[in-house]
Amino acid sequence: MSSVEFKGYAISDPKKWNDFSVIEFKPKAFQDTDVEIAITHCGVCGSDVHTITGGWGEAPFPLVPGHEIVGKVTRVGSEVKGFKVGDRAGIGAQIGSCYSCRACKSDNENYCSKSINTYASKYPDGISTQGGYSTAIRGHEQFVFPIPENLESRHAASMLCGGLTVYSPLVRNGAGPGKKVGVVGIGGLGHYAILFGKALGAEMYAFTHSKDKIEDIKKMGADHVVVTDDEGEFAKDLAMSLDLIISTRDVAEGMPLQQYLSMLWIHGHFVTVGLPDKPLPQLSAFDFCPNGCYLGSSAIGSKKEAVEMLQLAADRGIKPWIEELPMKDAKQAVERLKRNDVKYRFVLTQDLA
Amino acid sequence: MSQVEFKGYAITDANLWTQFNLIEYQPKTFDDNDVELRIAYCGVCGSDVHTITQGWGQIPTPLVVGHEITGQVTRVGANVKEFKVGDRVGVGAQIGSCYKCRACKEDQENYCPSMIDTYNAHYPDGVFAQGGYSTAIRANQQFVFAIPENLPLRYAASMLCAGLTVFSPLKRHGCGPGKKVGIVGIGGLGHYALLFAKAMGAEVYAFTHSNRKMDDIKKMGADHIIVTGNNPDFAKPLQMQLDLIVCALDVGKGMPLKDYLSMLWVHGKFVMVGLPDEPLPEMKAFDFLTGAFLGGSHIGNKKEALEMLQLAADKGIKPWIEEMPMSKAGEAVQRVKNGDVRYRFVLKQDISPIDID
Repeated sequence: MSSVEFKGYAISDPKKWNDFSVIEFKPKAFQDTDVEIAITHCGVCGSDVHTITGGWGEAPFPLVPGHEIVGKVTRVGSEVKGFKVGDRAGIGAQIGSCYSCRACKSDNENYCSKSINTYASKYPDGISTQGGYSTAIRGHEQFVFPIPENLESRHAASMLCGGLTVYSPLVRNGAGPGKKVGVVGIGGLGHYAILFGKALGAEMYAFTHSKDKIEDIKKMGADHVVVTDDEGEFAKDLAMSLDLIISTRDVAEGMPLQQYLSMLWIHGHFVTVGLPDKPLPQLSAFDFCPNGCYLGSSAIGSKKEAVEMLQLAADRGIKPWIEELPMKDAKQAVERLKRNDVKYRFVLTQDLA
Repeated sequence: MSQVEFKGYAITDANLWTQFNLIEYQPKTFDDNDVELRIAYCGVCGSDVHTITQGWGQIPTPLVVGHEITGQVTRVGANVKEFKVGDRVGVGAQIGSCYKCRACKEDQENYCPSMIDTYNAHYPDGVFAQGGYSTAIRANQQFVFAIPENLPLRYAASMLCAGLTVFSPLKRHGCGPGKKVGIVGIGGLGHYALLFAKAMGAEVYAFTHSNRKMDDIKKMGADHIIVTGNNPDFAKPLQMQLDLIVCALDVGKGMPLKDYLSMLWVHGKFVMVGLPDEPLPEMKAFDFLTGAFLGGSHIGNKKEALEMLQLAADKGIKPWIEEMPMSKAGEAVQRVKNGDVRYRFVLKQDISPIDID
């Protein structure tokens, strides 16, 4: 039996979204299918900021955010097959599903209509899910990922949402040798798309608004770096040339969406993993005509994909560009992330226990 | 040398879009790759109405519309092996492409950036392409389709745009046994989608605004009919059930797109084949979090056209058409604009009639 405490840095009021205070909270009632983890690291995701500021709608407070969690297993339920005490393991943005629907049975648990989020959600018994800016967490084995030997915890952490969220659409849409893949927005998610896209063998085109990221993006391995303008002039030379575009753009205003679509080859997909608060720019059916392209989004990824991604990262020595801070500096992290002042992901080191 | 005249019913004043006047005009300059045909029938497409009402932009006049054409070959160029004089053939909404780009070489000629539309377009030598509300037309053989023996020309006509426009996405998205396919909007295109999807073996869900078309839709073979008007929860029972939705609706603004997307299984496609004048409804990235995709489609390629026509011939697919003499084009386009047609008009060429089935 573990004697793990459950304490975390919480926001109590969205009007004071950068004012964290330590709270104790009641964890999920431990089940035979659960794994309990003592947290060592937690990444800071754009979702954390969207949620605590109320940008994505109302959330239950007090709220401990954080869903890029890595730590050491302290307890496993009797039905758990894949973990033992002492293993390094992680949890991402999803912590529950129904386990029995068509989605859950086809490695699409990330699309289960009864999906439970790692924070700001409720379990069927009414307990609120609290996230990873904390000492410990419990999750169903389905949503706990083993961290490979030669992948450091601080590197793995932000792969569990940021990495997986782009890895899944990359693989589901065939990113690989011979394919040309565009990434819009080179921030936390975008930089992962470059790193994983290259590792999968694709030719990567990075689209960025900021000239001052060009050097970094080249170092990440992008084959081409295109500086974009809101009028879309950049797209003209690339008409119908990309097989897939992953967009991490978080702001809808001024987005040259029609021009992005025009860069896709026939039946190419534009997948926006960026989830702006506001509606997308208005489109007409004609915008899809010249190339029969598709517009969609993507929700995290499956466990199968998470495990595959972590193994790829371990095998290829993929290191994300992170800035580490102690968890007590969560305030600084979310404030800087809100102003895009991070290269390219914050990872908080647990400092409460 | 053929004696074919090129005369057609044209819009001569863009403000009077239901008034067609007979004109003579210069056809495409005949070349070795061309097929010339006398026109027997031409279907009336929504595109014709969007064009002449200038919903899709200003038009030059005089303009002969019509791109659902069937008839009989009168002349073939020296390089043409596929056809001979007397053959029954058709021409659809595309009449040219560049023949050499990646799209053209990969059976994607319907996405060639240099494509030429059957009407309201210019050939590289400057000749203006006039459409099928006329006596005859010339087209590159790539865009001429043989009509199977046991498929009457009046049925084949409207398959060449409407039919192909829905057949291509159905085929490309695996419509067949075991698949659940939704069709939104049961008009000209929608009724073809229904007929073809059934013929391909899928389970078909027809979405229609009111009860008005219920009996027809049942007769067309839909497995399920969902009335969407005054039924805000229409999508709930079908959450994540459908593999594909083909949307033939000709509207934009009020369309509950989010509800339609919610009915798609993971990574299912909602394919718009209608091209409304107005923009699409407002969308948020969140609306796509079920993993569904929104897309469009543009006609189909020749391979698909031939496969479709053969399927129609083999399964005896009969579209629901209303035949009219070509001189009544004005009445036909007005009724299409009003949605008053069950479910496609086909004009019988009456300027210099030919006797062929």
